[in-house]
Amino acid sequence: MTRNGETVKWITARRRHPLAGYAVVILALALFGVGFAALAPTSDEARAQTLSAEAPSPEDVDVANGKAIFDQTCASCHNYDGSGTFAEDEDGNREMTNGPDLREVGPASVDFQVSTGRMPSMDPDNQMPRRDMVMSEQDLADLIAYYNESIRTDDAGAEIPYDVPGTPPERADFEDEESYETALEDYETEYDAYIEGAEDVDMGMKLYLTNCAHCHSWSGGGGALTDGRWAPELHDSTPREIYEAMVSGPGAMPMFSDGVITPEEKQELISYVKTLQAEPNAGGFFDLERVGQVAEGFIGWTIGLSLIIACAIWITAKQRAHD
Amino acid sequence: MSKTTQAPKALRGVGNFIDDRFHLAKTGEKNLRKVFPNHWSFMLGEIALYSFIILLVTGVFLTLWFKPSMLEVVYDGSYERLQGVPMSEAFASTLHIDFDVRGGFLVRQIHHWAALIFVASLVVHMLRVFFTGAFRKPREINWLIGVAIFALAMVEGLFGYSLPDDLPSGMGIRILQGVMLAIPLVGSYISMFLFGGEFPGEDIITRLYMLHVLLLPAILLALIVAHFMILWHQKHTQYPGQGRTDKKVVGTPMFPAFAVKAGGFFFFTFAVIAGLSAFVQINPVHLFGPFTPTSITSGLQPDWYMGFLEGSLRIFPNTLDFTIPIGQGYPIVTAVLIPGLGIMGLLFGALGAWPFIEQWITGDKRARNVADRPRNAPTRTALGVGGIVFYGLLWLAGSNDILSETFSINLYLTTYIFRVLIFVGPVLGYVITKRICLGLQRRDRETLEHGYESGIIQQLPSGEFIEVHKESSAETTHVLESKPVISSTALEEPETDDKGVENPNARKGMGRFRRALAHWYTKDNVSFEGVEAHTGHHLHHGAENEGKGH
Repeated sequence: MTRNGETVKWITARRRHPLAGYAVVILALALFGVGFAALAPTSDEARAQTLSAEAPSPEDVDVANGKAIFDQTCASCHNYDGSGTFAEDEDGNREMTNGPDLREVGPASVDFQVSTGRMPSMDPDNQMPRRDMVMSEQDLADLIAYYNESIRTDDAGAEIPYDVPGTPPERADFEDEESYETALEDYETEYDAYIEGAEDVDMGMKLYLTNCAHCHSWSGGGGALTDGRWAPELHDSTPREIYEAMVSGPGAMPMFSDGVITPEEKQELISYVKTLQAEPNAGGFFDLERVGQVAEGFIGWTIGLSLIIACAIWITAKQRAHD
Repeated sequence: MSKTTQAPKALRGVGNFIDDRFHLAKTGEKNLRKVFPNHWSFMLGEIALYSFIILLVTGVFLTLWFKPSMLEVVYDGSYERLQGVPMSEAFASTLHIDFDVRGGFLVRQIHHWAALIFVASLVVHMLRVFFTGAFRKPREINWLIGVAIFALAMVEGLFGYSLPDDLPSGMGIRILQGVMLAIPLVGSYISMFLFGGEFPGEDIITRLYMLHVLLLPAILLALIVAHFMILWHQKHTQYPGQGRTDKKVVGTPMFPAFAVKAGGFFFFTFAVIAGLSAFVQINPVHLFGPFTPTSITSGLQPDWYMGFLEGSLRIFPNTLDFTIPIGQGYPIVTAVLIPGLGIMGLLFGALGAWPFIEQWITGDKRARNVADRPRNAPTRTALGVGGIVFYGLLWLAGSNDILSETFSINLYLTTYIFRVLIFVGPVLGYVITKRICLGLQRRDRETLEHGYESGIIQQLPSGEFIEVHKESSAETTHVLESKPVISSTALEEPETDDKGVENPNARKGMGRFRRALAHWYTKDNVSFEGVEAHTGHHLHHGAENEGKGH
């Protein structure tokens, strides 16, 4: 490439091209988009480890370690005996300051809060989002053992449903590839058996749409609640976490004990949510996150109508040039 | 062309046969040579026409399999997830269209996307007509027909949305019923009549089906035909330009040029709608599942055109409800009545009345075939933008749960924000738009006087740098010079006659009101009086010289 007899770089010769500006913008957008996709956390990383299908035997847990963890990470809000932190206001009413009383919540609640990364919380005044569990699987087992032994009163609250599948095993926890793959296969068999063990879609659907969808939405995508709270999406939740949430009623969620919705009904309900989530989007490649009509209206205006109007501008511009 | 090509003999024979009997050649020639002005904004109404045609065609396809019945059946079609689920025949037949009819899923999605595009194009077309003043005499009747089409299209869409009897269908119908029940005195009777008993009953789908596929489309079609016939008769408006007057239209003849372009535009519209339908999932009823009266979900809205009503319902406070102390007490649910019906009445009432209000204010009885540039009618334009802001805010408020969740804003906070914005927003929109219009008018005046900025910088012998202004084209000059003066007959009448007696019109309440409105409507305007094209003494100096005496 030469200009005024001098050789110039390819890019220099084209940088004042009428399309150069658009090319730069598109390149920059592509760079940001790809860069973000590469750096953004994926849902795979957001998976927490799970306990094995059976309750851990007393030899496998270290209650002393559980106490150390509790005193270090929980007691500042929930107190050393798990009784919570309270203060009396002017009228003499007890008001919670940092953390509630844990003595009667039960191990299912502890497992739910810690395994979904909501506890320990950074900010007791705000609802915690789901995140990676901050401790190891073994630490959680130790903590729950300590909770059951020293804090829980009269075996109150719900037990952990060990027969409901939790999170899949992770490669990092296994010595070799073979044992990992065996564990994964076992997990998948267990998961499929649980999901497919439910056969009454109508019951699962009615239970979900009557009790859950008005907060978590029909797709399990979550939704806004009052007072700045929100119902989280259920897509990353394992069947066990959904079960535990139902029996423990975390945050603003009501409690659905096994007496109200039986374990079999819970299985139907969980199966309905998970099957719907796994359902392919028959209507097209873009599912709009299953947000529904707001997203559809947005796309209809911004893409549909805009494209058609752009065409109208194009057609009439041509016409004017030729008339 | 030196030689005219003749049609083949056989065709000529048929042509002559018909022409001898119906004298079509003359009428045909006249209509085929009809001229249409060229501007992209004149094509917006065509989008509506084309999507309506697509709706009719795909709608006919869907009726071949849809069963408008609420009879309960147990689904055993090929969609596995819902097999064994009891549902209405309407929902089951929709699943049948989706999964067992070849191309059924695509056609259903085309039908739905076309509906969204149809109403959207009605809105942009209507806004174009509003902002260019194309509703003025002689087109008031056509404007009213347009408003009726808009209103009916919304209802038609709502009914269509309700037919599949899926989860959001039922929720939409439930809200419809709630609004009906809020009507004082007759509300519960209307509801019982429409549903044939208590909600949801067993008749509603069948009745909505009749309304959706027969009655409303027939009325819509009739209105659209009337709209076009009036348009044809009155001819299209045009933007100001050389040779364009209230008595003369400049444009492309209907045949062949305009017809070819318009035909091509139909296919483009269809391509966009079909493309959306092929790639973007819309209203996935198979995922929603059938409606039961106990089912309810968050995160679902009506289709976008009902969004503003949803929004007004969401932000209207319930503190204004009251009970008339008759007998057991008769509650008046203003929190549903006003946002549900009042807002709709306000919207369509204001749209329908505006041409007549404007005519009353200005006293303008002339036929106007040249469209206004929106900046040249600043009050009307600002009022329109105020209306858009009002509608847009209500529409946004209708999705406040999605906004709250997507942008992590407190749900209650969004309600309070919208309650304030709904009053402040339109006023801001009005004021800002008016300022922008006046700014554009000033720039127009400057361009007219000084020509356009050429981008050439000259250094004078004194060392001063100036930008050279060049004369605008004759076309631009004509457009700028044709700026109409906004006036009102109300202000032309003197306040007192030559004997010092007060003008009776100015003394009466209505007359005073009209004068006040006329003052409001005309006062903000940049006068072009005395401005002559390219007379700024300095085709090279810019705005700095303005006001120093040209």
